[in-house]
Amino acid sequence: MTTDFEPRIIGFLCNWCSYAGADTAGISRFKYQPNVRIVRVMCSGRVSPELVLRAFREGADGVLVLGCHIGDCHYVSGNHRTAKRMPILRRILEYVGIEPERLRLDWVSSAEAPKFQQVVNEFTKTIRELGPARQVIQ
Amino acid sequence: MMEELRKVVNELLNELDGVVALRGSSEGVAPHLFRSGNDLSELVIVPKYPMASVLDLLQDADSDVRLGVVARGCDERALIELAKRQQVNLDNVRIIGIACSAEEAEECRCALPYPQNLMVGEKVQGVEDRLIAEHEALARQERLEFWKRQFAKCLKCYGCRNICPECFCEECVLEDELWAQTGVLPPPFPTFHILRAMHTVGKCVGCGECERTCPAGIPLTILYSLLRRDAKELFGYEAGASIEDRPPLVVTLDEVPIRG
Repeated sequence: MTTDFEPRIIGFLCNWCSYAGADTAGISRFKYQPNVRIVRVMCSGRVSPELVLRAFREGADGVLVLGCHIGDCHYVSGNHRTAKRMPILRRILEYVGIEPERLRLDWVSSAEAPKFQQVVNEFTKTIRELGPARQVIQ
Repeated sequence: MMEELRKVVNELLNELDGVVALRGSSEGVAPHLFRSGNDLSELVIVPKYPMASVLDLLQDADSDVRLGVVARGCDERALIELAKRQQVNLDNVRIIGIACSAEEAEECRCALPYPQNLMVGEKVQGVEDRLIAEHEALARQERLEFWKRQFAKCLKCYGCRNICPECFCEECVLEDELWAQTGVLPPPFPTFHILRAMHTVGKCVGCGECERTCPAGIPLTILYSLLRRDAKELFGYEAGASIEDRPPLVVTLDEVPIRG
């Protein structure tokens, strides 16, 4: 693996909590790894497996899905679907030989700037260690 | 067993508009709607065929028709899953359950080779899917190589989807350029097959038709068996067990929580 590998990460952030959390991190001048390209979605429940796989197909090395904490969803239960579907998708990745660590689901509220920073830094480190996804995904 | 089945069907034809079953003739075997007075000696049960799809089609044409259907365990489970997704109406359906033989159960690596509405035949023990354990024993790199090799054989004939009794969408993501690359052969690893696998979760009843129909011989049932196990482990969900169980992926955590 080359040492100059810079992970390309797509982050799907929900409009109401996580995107605002990222915003709070920015406003508060929290430093975090610049590898995540943020795509704002109205709800983490919008993040279908199709969307995750499309990101990988377009060359993402990792996909980060962030939504409101369970119970705090702006749409009451949109994130319930995400909570169920992402673990299944991770298992399918595992079965076909792709590191499930390339897909991470977490909950970040609009006030959790430190958590946003921590999740992004951890995830970037994980993907950096895993190397380019092109090794496994066409 | 066939004598008894024909007798049961013959009796039920007095109260039903027809019975869906397989008919064997010199032209081969195909699903058939047996009506009162038809020659029931032509009624056969092999080879396996997804009868739920046939019933779905017939009800689309006439939703009030009172039908019977000769159903194996997997056919009944498929009907239950279709019913909870409003694809068939079981109120008008009489399930004539038949048990699979031990040999058939072994061939399908079937865990539940009999229906709840068993009318003809003797229950035999389900078979553990040994291929799951074999697959689990592989290292990640081996799994990657295995599935890359298998999926590289894919002709994208859509046979797996077309034969699946649970695939009923009018529009399919597998034909949509947005989600699965069209016009590329074989479909680039692994999007196409992961999408299909994902869509079987909470629906796959383990009939094995996808694998049987695949002209490339891709062992799809290994992947889908693993996911049936996961649906049970994560959501306590067994497709086709009960019409009351809510499909886990489309309802809230309050209705179907994640276990463990």
